[in-house]
Amino acid sequence: MKNEHMYRKGTNLIYTCRQFFVFSLCFVICVLLSVFCCLSSADAKIYIDITDPGFRQIPLKINTEGSPDANEVKWIAKGDLEKTGMFSFVSPGVPGAEVVANINAEPSDKLKVVLTVTDLIENRELIKMRFVGAKSSFRLVAHRIADEIYRAMTGQKGIFRTKISYLVNVMPGRKELRMMDWDGYKPRKIVSRGLTPSQTWSRDGRSLMYSSERKRKWSIYRFDLDSYRESVIFSSKGLNLVGGTSPAGLVSFSSSKDGSSEIYILDPYRKKLKKLTRSYGIDVSPAFSPDGKKIAFVSDRGGSPQIYIMNSDGKGRPKRLTFEGNYNTSPAWSPDGRSIVYVGKTNGKNQIFVVKSDGTDLRQLTNVGSNEGPSFSPDGYFIAFDSDREGTRGIYIMRSNGETQKRITPKYVKAVSPEWSPYLK
Amino acid sequence: MVAVLKIVVNINLFLLREDSKLMKKTLVILLLILMVGCAKKYTKAPDVTVAPGGEVTEDTVTEEEFVEEIIVTREDDEIGESVISPEEEAKSVFKDVLFDFDEHNIRPDARPILDNVAAFLSKNKNFNVVIEGHCDERGTNEYNLALGEKRSKSAQSYLSSLGVQPSRMMVLTYGEEKSLCTEQDEACWQRNRRAHFVLVK
Repeated sequence: MKNEHMYRKGTNLIYTCRQFFVFSLCFVICVLLSVFCCLSSADAKIYIDITDPGFRQIPLKINTEGSPDANEVKWIAKGDLEKTGMFSFVSPGVPGAEVVANINAEPSDKLKVVLTVTDLIENRELIKMRFVGAKSSFRLVAHRIADEIYRAMTGQKGIFRTKISYLVNVMPGRKELRMMDWDGYKPRKIVSRGLTPSQTWSRDGRSLMYSSERKRKWSIYRFDLDSYRESVIFSSKGLNLVGGTSPAGLVSFSSSKDGSSEIYILDPYRKKLKKLTRSYGIDVSPAFSPDGKKIAFVSDRGGSPQIYIMNSDGKGRPKRLTFEGNYNTSPAWSPDGRSIVYVGKTNGKNQIFVVKSDGTDLRQLTNVGSNEGPSFSPDGYFIAFDSDREGTRGIYIMRSNGETQKRITPKYVKAVSPEWSPYLK
Repeated sequence: MVAVLKIVVNINLFLLREDSKLMKKTLVILLLILMVGCAKKYTKAPDVTVAPGGEVTEDTVTEEEFVEEIIVTREDDEIGESVISPEEEAKSVFKDVLFDFDEHNIRPDARPILDNVAAFLSKNKNFNVVIEGHCDERGTNEYNLALGEKRSKSAQSYLSSLGVQPSRMMVLTYGEEKSLCTEQDEACWQRNRRAHFVLVK
């Protein structure tokens, strides 16, 4: 049905536009769609509708066969799926599962795993896939398997292969940039020079932008994750703090190069700079909306730090978003652009709040300890943040409705300011 | 002996930057050990003693190289030499300027400190100063960095109104990234909400 509809839409376009490349584009889309439909016969059935708040957990059984690798892969994949809260796990040998995933690892010097997912009710095979990789890649393979199971059950792309970048307080005045798997494993040092207090991902997930103080100078750097090279993209006197990136590759940041801290947009490729705000007070933390058209930022122009939204072309007046409380900072957009998560001070403690981008439907998501630095997962289903609720500040993740808040970094590491990566290839 | 003096001066300079009490204590002990070592070299009966009541004890050295070195240790761990060097004087002059929560205006209690700083800088032209703005941990990191900068700039503009050339002052912010203490109480938060001076030559 879906396919047919798309095709009709495509043919209409040919006759109305009569442009050659519109035609070829539609043709490619149609071909891709039909290929996709042939490949996955399971697309018709959605087991879990994640948009429905009262969805039912799917009873899932994960069996393993073959070498011990299978078990290792199973535990990682199970941990991934468990965090979504969408599955209940049925132990092997116990009846009641509706779907069974079978992980079969061949005894080999490489990691060779076959995944089959079967619908036990309809007695239908949903997936059969084979993964081959080095032994060291078992985490990646496991996350990939979790992604495939998740897609078969929900029809949505899983976030299990995404990363979270974050900052670690090594000592007072030293903060380094690290990166880890979304479940907190495989931490990796990216930049340890100087003091790095703010950072963000490029939209293609291939680089990290961050601000660093080195030798009493604040500059904005870019770290290429493919070549592992660092380069300076902006440097001036004063404080320069990176905020976010747009789909077109622009970088938003705050700078006090001309005196007070204002919001700027930088085109790092054309080396063009545009100043967006002019106010006496503090303007910081500019975050691009997912479509790049808006910027949410923090300003104390009204007497206390509050979140405002403005057009990224600088036209029109910024609109104030937050009115509750007198200390609201650190805005981050949801991937659909409809909500903004931020830090608000209430009863002397920082808490995570979420509000629709039109200012309605304000909700408090945390209430234990002091909680800061929220960032949405690329599917909008999770929020990463930092909290001191168990002593040392660490990185936590929760569902975007505030459920199941769980620490993912070790107790002894002082980790803050998580930034969730986009989907990674 | 000259080398020892150099070390003493260096350590004093270092003390200007570091506020850690523990560090001070260890350094005082280190200095004393050095002194005792030196005294042994030149006199048989060293008179160097620690006078907890704040009394000054003299150490007379009568060998070829006469260097007057007196160590005074008080309850508050201050170290002094009999001739007050600018570095030594700076220690009592460059006190932290404190601020209210989410504020960057100069409080009345900060004015005498800034007046002394201005007087020192106009007397000692060979010294410049870095003004670091700091915040307590209750704010959020990025906003605090901007606020810290506002604090250091407030101190800078106050000093320049007293005649200190702006080019002799460098403003820098560390937000909440260099806390002096981590207790969750107002006393500690107040210590951290500060403009801190670092003397540079």
